Amino acid sequence: MGRTRKRLASVIGLLVAVVFAFPIYWMVTTALKPANQLLSDDYDLVPLGLTFQHFVDGISKEGFLNSLGNSVIVALAAVVFALVAGLLAAVPLARLRFRGRKGFLLLVLVAQMAPFEALLIPMFLMIRSFDLLNALPGLILVYFAAALPFTAWTLRGFVKGIPVDLEEAAMVDGCGRWAAFRRVTLPLLGPGLVATSVFSFITAWNEFLYALTFMQDPSNVTLPVWLSGFVSKFGVDWGGAMAASSVFTLPVLIFFLIVQRNLVSGVTAGAVKG
Amino acid sequence: MSVTTKAAVPAGTTPPAPRSTVSDSESGISAFVRRLFSQRTLPYLLLLPATATILVMLGWPVVSVVLTSFRKLDLGELFQGKIVWVGLDNYTTLISDSSFWQITLRTVLFTAACVVCTVGGGLLVALLMKHVYGWVRVVIQLALVLAWAMPILAATTVFQWMFDQNYGILNKTLVVLGFSGFHHYSWFQTGFSTMAVIVILITWQGIPFVAFTLYAGVLGVPSDLYEAAGLDGASSWQTFRSVTWTALRPLVNVVTFLSLLWDFKVFTQVWAIRQGGPDGGSQTLPTLQYLKGIATQHFGVAAAVSVIMILALVVLTGQNLRLMLRTEEVD
Repeated sequence: MGRTRKRLASVIGLLVAVVFAFPIYWMVTTALKPANQLLSDDYDLVPLGLTFQHFVDGISKEGFLNSLGNSVIVALAAVVFALVAGLLAAVPLARLRFRGRKGFLLLVLVAQMAPFEALLIPMFLMIRSFDLLNALPGLILVYFAAALPFTAWTLRGFVKGIPVDLEEAAMVDGCGRWAAFRRVTLPLLGPGLVATSVFSFITAWNEFLYALTFMQDPSNVTLPVWLSGFVSKFGVDWGGAMAASSVFTLPVLIFFLIVQRNLVSGVTAGAVKG
Repeated sequence: MSVTTKAAVPAGTTPPAPRSTVSDSESGISAFVRRLFSQRTLPYLLLLPATATILVMLGWPVVSVVLTSFRKLDLGELFQGKIVWVGLDNYTTLISDSSFWQITLRTVLFTAACVVCTVGGGLLVALLMKHVYGWVRVVIQLALVLAWAMPILAATTVFQWMFDQNYGILNKTLVVLGFSGFHHYSWFQTGFSTMAVIVILITWQGIPFVAFTLYAGVLGVPSDLYEAAGLDGASSWQTFRSVTWTALRPLVNVVTFLSLLWDFKVFTQVWAIRQGGPDGGSQTLPTLQYLKGIATQHFGVAAAVSVIMILALVVLTGQNLRLMLRTEEVD
């Protein structure tokens, strides 16, 4: 009884795995199929021929490399700014006693719940008044602000996790406050910095609404916006669209493998407690 | 700012007493800089960039969206920089428009469908993972991570290809399975089936997070509870209800709450699939906000939509926070 049930559950489990993996399989195999097999009525779950032509075509499509570059710049810049400002805020919030500490904590906590999607109009008006519409810095500013509360809050947790005794020991040994932080705490923060920056990177990499709104000039769009206009711009070229999607997916997949352990706790810590 | 004793020491005259906290006493540092970095002001200086960003980039927009919703702000007013207050006009315009109510109702139903499918599906997958062979569990987890890692727009593009009318794999599969009615069937012909495709897409994207979170909860249930239930002769359904479900309920509340917040605000998938079409049949509040504000430049009306969305989110958040607190008290 128990064994047949386990076997049945395993069969269902494999079906579930197929359902979840299929779109990514379909993306990659479509990208690798020769063009004449794409728009055909044949039923072919397994590609009968392989070609890298779609990748070559997709990459040389107008605007692809440009928008890929924009996405990388915007996401990286937002992550770096958020990391610096977040770490600067995390240290006093975790370590120092000062008046108004609770107030700052509450501010960061509430800021994490800000419904960014519903602030589109005032953000648009503000970025417009800064004269940053249709320019990468405007988008960087928004992504930085969106990533900051989560980054500060999560890093605060990581800083708190490092025993203050370690820093004090270094200070007894003659290190200054800054040197103690740089030589002891900062290296120990490594995993925390990696985890938080990966989360912010993925959020910025995925963002669509603001990128669509701010960037009117085709040369300034990010990859999600470029991809969303693929079919209307280049017609039904599913091979090219899937090749571009594959390239778009690759960095995220790599980052996911880096932080796989922190995946669940990271999202819940950021979103629930904040 | 008050002057601390340390900062009052003139620059360059390093006192002979050992000072462990301030190491950099090179002669170049002025008293001003030292005072700036004194113990008392240091925390505020460190917090300044983050606080300023949060207040300017988040605090002000929250105020601004409410103010804008009481203004008439079309392209003309925007370019002339005129401020025209119209009171509640934007809200009455919306409320008296029957399509607004239709869109609101659609958004609520859409959110509910997404949340029920995501949380229900995630719970089933999490429970399933407990009952399969070890290697099957690894395969499931790998597939879930693949689905989770896919960028929203990559997934949306792939789903459009799979649901393609002429050469999509779904229609081909359905025909092979004997449902010949799906030959060249258009999934995006009606608003309802377009919404259904979007719900499937969001569920597929949302389940991995829910499943992993709940599976962590399943693993956290002490095994002696199951043994005790076994000794008491509980059926598997009774065991599930009294042991697993009791342990999982707080986590289920958390993921339900998070999914509600996320799914209510979804813009990307809805817009990327059909821009709210056909004929506005898949329009939701987030796309309405975009359409009114950015596409047709009635910023005041769009801000009113935003305020209504924010109010709904605040109510949802408040309700759920209370619910979460209550379940934690019970524990």
